[in-house]
Amino acid sequence: MSKQPYRILLAKIGLDGHDRGVKVLARSFRDAGHDVIYTGLWQTAQATMCAAMQEDVDVVGVSLLSAAHMTIMPEVLKWRKQYGIEHVPVVLGGIIPVQDYDAMRKMGVAALFNPGSSIEEILKEFSRLAAEASHGTLEEVQAGYTTGDQVALAKLITHIQRDTDGNGWAPPAGDALVLGITGSPGVGKSSFIDKLGRELRSRNLRVAVVAVDPSSPLTGGALLGDRLRMMSGSPDENFFIRSLSSGTVLGGLGPKAKEVVSLLSGFGFDIILLETVGAGQSDVAVRELARHTLLLLMPDSGDSIQFSKAGLMEIATCFVLNKCDLEGADRTLAHLATAVGGDRPLWKVSTLHNEGIDKVADWVVAQR
Amino acid sequence: MGAHGVKPTGQTAAVATTMPVTPDRGEDGKPFVGPEDLKDFDPAVSLAQPSEYPFTRGIHREMYRKRLWTMRQFAGFGSAQQTNERFKYLLAHGQTGLSTAFDLPTLMGRDSDDLLSLGEVGRCGVAISSLDDMRRLFDGIDLGQVSTSMTINAPAAILLAFYIAVAKEQGVPLDQLRGTLQNDILKEFHSQNEYVFPPPPSVRLVIDTIEYGTQCTPQWNTVSISGYHIREAGATAAQELAFTLADGMAYVEESIKRGLDVDAVAKRLSFFFDVHNDFFEEIAKFRAARRIWAKVMRHKYKAKNERSWWLRTHAQTAGVSLTEQQPMNNVVRVAYQALAAVLGGTQSLHTNSYDETLALPSENAVKVALRTQQVLAYETNVTQIVDPLGGSYFIEKLTDEIEAKAEAIFKEIDAMGGVLPAIDRGYFRRAIAESALQQAREYESGQAIMVGVNKFREEQGKPIEILQVDQATEDEQVARLKELKKNRDAARHKAALEKVRQSAGDGENMMPSLIEAAEADATVGEMMATMQTVFGSYDGGPEW
Ligand SMILES: Nc1nc2c(ncn2[C@@H]2O[C@H](COP(=O)(O)OP(=O)(O)O)[C@@H](O)[C@H]2O)c(=O)[nH]1
Ligand SMILES: [Mg+2]
Repeated sequence: MSKQPYRILLAKIGLDGHDRGVKVLARSFRDAGHDVIYTGLWQTAQATMCAAMQEDVDVVGVSLLSAAHMTIMPEVLKWRKQYGIEHVPVVLGGIIPVQDYDAMRKMGVAALFNPGSSIEEILKEFSRLAAEASHGTLEEVQAGYTTGDQVALAKLITHIQRDTDGNGWAPPAGDALVLGITGSPGVGKSSFIDKLGRELRSRNLRVAVVAVDPSSPLTGGALLGDRLRMMSGSPDENFFIRSLSSGTVLGGLGPKAKEVVSLLSGFGFDIILLETVGAGQSDVAVRELARHTLLLLMPDSGDSIQFSKAGLMEIATCFVLNKCDLEGADRTLAHLATAVGGDRPLWKVSTLHNEGIDKVADWVVAQR
Repeated sequence: MGAHGVKPTGQTAAVATTMPVTPDRGEDGKPFVGPEDLKDFDPAVSLAQPSEYPFTRGIHREMYRKRLWTMRQFAGFGSAQQTNERFKYLLAHGQTGLSTAFDLPTLMGRDSDDLLSLGEVGRCGVAISSLDDMRRLFDGIDLGQVSTSMTINAPAAILLAFYIAVAKEQGVPLDQLRGTLQNDILKEFHSQNEYVFPPPPSVRLVIDTIEYGTQCTPQWNTVSISGYHIREAGATAAQELAFTLADGMAYVEESIKRGLDVDAVAKRLSFFFDVHNDFFEEIAKFRAARRIWAKVMRHKYKAKNERSWWLRTHAQTAGVSLTEQQPMNNVVRVAYQALAAVLGGTQSLHTNSYDETLALPSENAVKVALRTQQVLAYETNVTQIVDPLGGSYFIEKLTDEIEAKAEAIFKEIDAMGGVLPAIDRGYFRRAIAESALQQAREYESGQAIMVGVNKFREEQGKPIEILQVDQATEDEQVARLKELKKNRDAARHKAALEKVRQSAGDGENMMPSLIEAAEADATVGEMMATMQTVFGSYDGGPEW
């Protein structure tokens, strides 16, 4: 099994907002051809390790500059065990006094770095650890999957993505409702999915998200930044989020998107939300996989040029005008209503204020 | 620690004598600057005299001869009571300005008993969750007699409300209150990440404090517009300069939109810049800052009072330039940086302690940092002549260049529709992160040198002593807060928070309702949460 690109999760935990170092690393890992999942600021140890489990990463890197490592790292390692992923090495970087190195290592931290460490050295160590990381054998994780083990599901996705050929095994047929969520970068797709997903969870539906971000055409690496918007609530095993890179096919869904969706469906999720950047071939690919494609738009300074762009209007089966807390929402909505016509649903939403999401959820429930 | 592919070098090892050429210095291959490089330079227009528009040479005629820069060392202590004792000690020794550092939970608008505050209470500053904490912080100190600086941003309006409530209890007329609130939320979005609400309501809160200031606390400095954190996050000098001044302009524009008189607002704005290693560039940055600000305040915003054109600034030496390796080298770095700030004409200065990379500075390190300023002030004679580098071909060229770079950045920001729309697009964060990556690569390749880190390395010496904070401070603070929450007048507390919610929604100035809530023993965390129900929360915006 080819393990490249490695999947690396970078995390900031606690209140400390110093993210210069972690961002330099994220970009450096991307440029070295790896997939980087950054979970953003102010995470808890639990949410971080839940993410590490669902994403089935090869290494977790924690960056701490507030000297709270003695409080935070034991929590991290506790949750690593709770989520059943003790095989995932945890690396710590930041302002860690040398006096504390031993205690950290004893606790189970695989490697330590400080602000003087070179990127090259850090990369090397991450790669070494990633190369050793175990994702189980295909047969093991297939067996685990059938018993409903989420760790096995996460690993199986990695296998399916990295392996060129399987062993003839197929997941049971599921009946998940698959919805594509598309729209330009920054319209709020990931944030919307976070809120919609939680609303659906509150209605007792099991929700899975597949978020696809583009890989760099030059290096093949990717910064997977969707997940950090989807961590507003407490971690929840029935809200399964998986970040994927598109691979080098422009605008594609990444290798084996279809198989990943079948795995999730067969595992028992009721709803699968598929986030893609609405460009290039992903539209077509999404249409093949998803029952409906929701196009997200946002209020614009006036005209409706954006609507006619790239034929997205034709592909979408539903429309969400997000960010309706911003100026010009009503005007845009009026334009949009004319452009869409009456036969396709159109919702007015403010993800920021959690407004209008329930209406979308009602509709989703009715589609099942 | 970090193997840079460089073998540890002993003190006596031979050293290469050629220096790498910095790309933007001497690009035409010429190792000096002369009159031919300053063709359009007219000293009467670009310079004038110190104290004359456009203030390139400084805002005062006598500068340090008449008044030395303020040596303002910022420091934090555990509990309100410990800090109070420290304040009293400083006041007894003749200091009149108090500088308050808050702990991380307070900075984030969270109470000491919040889940995320665990392990952070009182660690890097004082924990203030309620009016009671603020009362104890200033117990026995006459707020009519001191000037207080408070480094706080997202919950700045609330901390100001606490301060005002204490002043009212002391019977001090509000127009006598003197001090500075950092209160610069825009740079939090660009770099420091201590934001809570989305940008528009956050800026509205800043303008509320400005408006309140012009009406009730006219001697209070309402915003300290800060480039320091932008630079520390990785921005170049030109980016630091441009982003900071753009933020300043945004506050001025929003104030004008609110209907405030630009002169009343401007005289209470001050700035805060970083001083980094590139010696001459830093000096040029301060000079260019004054010139740009004077121009825009005079011509763009039509301020009439000459004082409104002044850019008054605080400076701090660059924390990111300090190294954990061979920490005594930091003393030297700080000294050069301090000299640059003074040659640039700063009004006040904080010098970092050599051991700050690891933890809170030790007493000895703090003293050396202060002594560095005193040696500079009293032994070197740099205080005798204002803007001694003015007229140097090189300095004037650099000043023009950095001004031009800033102007180009202003154009970019304008093209996006201003600072707020640029934040929406992730412009600042992306620009800063790209610069940080660029710098990291330069150190990685050895093109840029950090002594003791990627050159002249040594085996790590004995680790330096580290100040430990004891857990008792946190436990006591949490217990006291729980007690307060139990014993306060519940009905009054609830009504006051409801008023906060209403005024947040109505768009009226929030200060009166925040002061009332403070007096009803509502906590920082409660007021923030109440406002969040109206404003929502911010997630950092797009960046990747
Ligand atoms: N004002 C406002 N901002 C929003 C809303 N929804 C999302 N955003 C912001 O838009 C930015 C981009 O959101 P994101 O979910 O990453 O967009 P994506 O690139 O489409 O996935 C984030 O800063 C969000 O907080 C909304 O309803 N109102
Ligand atoms: Mg997204």
